[in-house]
Amino acid sequence: MFELVQALNDDAEELKKRSPDSISLNAGCELFIAFVTLFPHESDSFAELKTELVEQGRKYASDAISFREKIAELTLGFIKDDSMILTHSYSRVVMKALLHAHKTKRISVYVTEARPRGLGLKTYEALTSAGIPCTIVLDSAVAYVMDRVDFVLVGSEAVVESGGLINAVGSNQMAIIAKAASKPFYALAESYKFHRLFPLSQYDLPTHNPTILSFPTLPQYPTFLETDFARGTPNVPPSAENEIRTSKQSLPTAEMKMNAEQISRNPSVDYTRPDLISLVFSDVGILTPEGVSQYLVGMFAG
Amino acid sequence: MVPPPLLDVQSQSSNGDALHPPPRSQKQMTKAERRELQERQRAAKAAKATTAAPNGVNGKHAGIKPGSSAAMSNAPSPRRASRASDAPTRPSSLSVSRPTRDSRVPQTPHPAPSSDKARGLRIFAHFGLPKPVSVAKGEIHPTIVRLALQFSNFKITGANARCIATLIAFKQVIQDYTTPPNNTLSRHLMTHLSPQISHLVAARPMSVTMGNAIRQLKLEISGSDIDLPEQDAKDALCHKIDHYIRDRIIIADQVIRDTAVSKIKDGDVILTYARSSVVEKVLLGAHEEGRCFSVIVVDSRPMLEGKKLLSILASAGIQCTYLLLPALGSIINEVSTVLIGAHSIHSNGAVFSRAGSALVAMMAKQHSVPVVVCCETYKFSEGVQLDSFTKNELAPIGSMFSSDRHARSQDASAFQNQPNLEVLNPLYDLTPPSCITAVVTEVGVIPPNSMSSIPLALGRF
Repeated sequence: MFELVQALNDDAEELKKRSPDSISLNAGCELFIAFVTLFPHESDSFAELKTELVEQGRKYASDAISFREKIAELTLGFIKDDSMILTHSYSRVVMKALLHAHKTKRISVYVTEARPRGLGLKTYEALTSAGIPCTIVLDSAVAYVMDRVDFVLVGSEAVVESGGLINAVGSNQMAIIAKAASKPFYALAESYKFHRLFPLSQYDLPTHNPTILSFPTLPQYPTFLETDFARGTPNVPPSAENEIRTSKQSLPTAEMKMNAEQISRNPSVDYTRPDLISLVFSDVGILTPEGVSQYLVGMFAG
Repeated sequence: MVPPPLLDVQSQSSNGDALHPPPRSQKQMTKAERRELQERQRAAKAAKATTAAPNGVNGKHAGIKPGSSAAMSNAPSPRRASRASDAPTRPSSLSVSRPTRDSRVPQTPHPAPSSDKARGLRIFAHFGLPKPVSVAKGEIHPTIVRLALQFSNFKITGANARCIATLIAFKQVIQDYTTPPNNTLSRHLMTHLSPQISHLVAARPMSVTMGNAIRQLKLEISGSDIDLPEQDAKDALCHKIDHYIRDRIIIADQVIRDTAVSKIKDGDVILTYARSSVVEKVLLGAHEEGRCFSVIVVDSRPMLEGKKLLSILASAGIQCTYLLLPALGSIINEVSTVLIGAHSIHSNGAVFSRAGSALVAMMAKQHSVPVVVCCETYKFSEGVQLDSFTKNELAPIGSMFSSDRHARSQDASAFQNQPNLEVLNPLYDLTPPSCITAVVTEVGVIPPNSMSSIPLALGRF
């Protein structure tokens, strides 16, 4: 039995290494391992236990698809007719909730662009094709638009033990602005995203590494600075300089974007504190952030 | 506080006068009427004093009775005398000054400052100053007597230390106990232990940890099998006590240490306050793991417990800074995490800890520094505490108290002989849940608002 748990842990580690956004994966793995170790199993032999575990695992996975429907149903009660909703980036559970609400109510949605991945555009496409009036706003325009919206709805990578939320970078900002404007901030999360992590601050997240927010070493040659600034490509060897100068002139707009190296110094997820979150909608029910902790302690303790 | 307290304090006299509710409120009476009322009451009291059993102090008062013109100035004297006699709880160090104060009674001190003094004492009167542990009532086991002395002299301090010492003393008591005939151990042992417990409480008020441990012990005793031979039952109880100490304190500390060490990263500056046994273990554990961090120890008078922690950490090779509480504001910007211990945690999420911890937590919160409280689950108290005021303990000033020898002699002389000065040293204060980021217990890291889920987690044990 112990060896089984050991094997499970090792494989979970392997999975986490392969995947870029490992937090929600982490949550799922821990949940399954907890299920294996903590819950009482009635089986006579190890082989029977194994089949039971596999069966339960598959059943859970298929049930998990239905979680989003449950959450969409719960959210419906909080959406009034003619609501103006603000959401962030792309989240499947939020999409499901919005499309479900659209069937019976009139809603309009603002979605943020969510740079650098730009997933907000995906949301925009999906909503407009379903017939929901939608506008993309700049990430920096959240405060500008906040007074117009009725509430904020976001998905989640994970909901942590403190009751806080880990989601795409920009959610924390949105939550702080919503709090300042006294708008409710709702997080939608399936129960397998509840995680035993407890970040004390933004920099306590497992995804945080030393490159994030670090300062680059300054380049050696002053010419590199010029080309970097104009074109955004780092470390261009001097021989290619001429080519770049000519191609720069043919750029249609002088829009400047961060290059990949600069983007790598930025976080991909951030942590929202529990006091900024109004409610967490999940398949186990509508919880307050404090309730999340009680649920987690009840599930995993012992 | 407008009404002169003279009347109220006279009602505290050792004669046991019932409180005279004034027929009209003091404010409504004119000054002359008030003085008349005082005169009447003083005369009534003097009359009672002469008929009552001669009480040294009151007899003195009767002898002093001056003319009516000096009525106001003499009112303080019966008050003072009565207070001196009705406060037998003064620690022995102050009792020396009592005769000197009484001999000063014929002088006429100003009524106003002494009335402030009476008011000041009344605010904290419900704490009760610790009594000198003298005669033990009934048969108290010598281990308990020694323990009580150690408590009252603050030789053993800290919630964990006191609880472990108490439980070990009880083990001894249980081993030496013999069931009287026609009685069963499970029923009689509790009545045997009760006076021992009262003796300890008389030395120093019971901590939440001791209370929880004793409650568990009572549960074990009442559940002990009647058919077991006596020695077996006693051994079983001692084993249960050992297991309690091992599971709820020692192993819990290890789990907390492992969890909290994961929150300490290289390059961190950890701030801690006074001395907590758990935080000490966490810091030493992190150092053993090879983390590179530095510690700021914040300390405060009069106990100056931080000095001991400082010497332990420094000799382990951890880089430390030491400062006193008032200097906290100047270094708080450099702190990455605050780690404090607790005396007890409450179901509303408030943490009861050494006086000064609330200041540290509030300051840290203001500067967005996470505050992590390390606390075992057996310190959990079901009650709800909202302020530091309703339940606290005053430390006695004086020779035994400070760990710093220089301060000791200064304290003794500076505060003893001042008529208008009363020193108050609350030992604990309450940190509100809003200032705490996380509480690390052995069942997990819990946010303060969900503290009431601890009994839920414990129910699984």
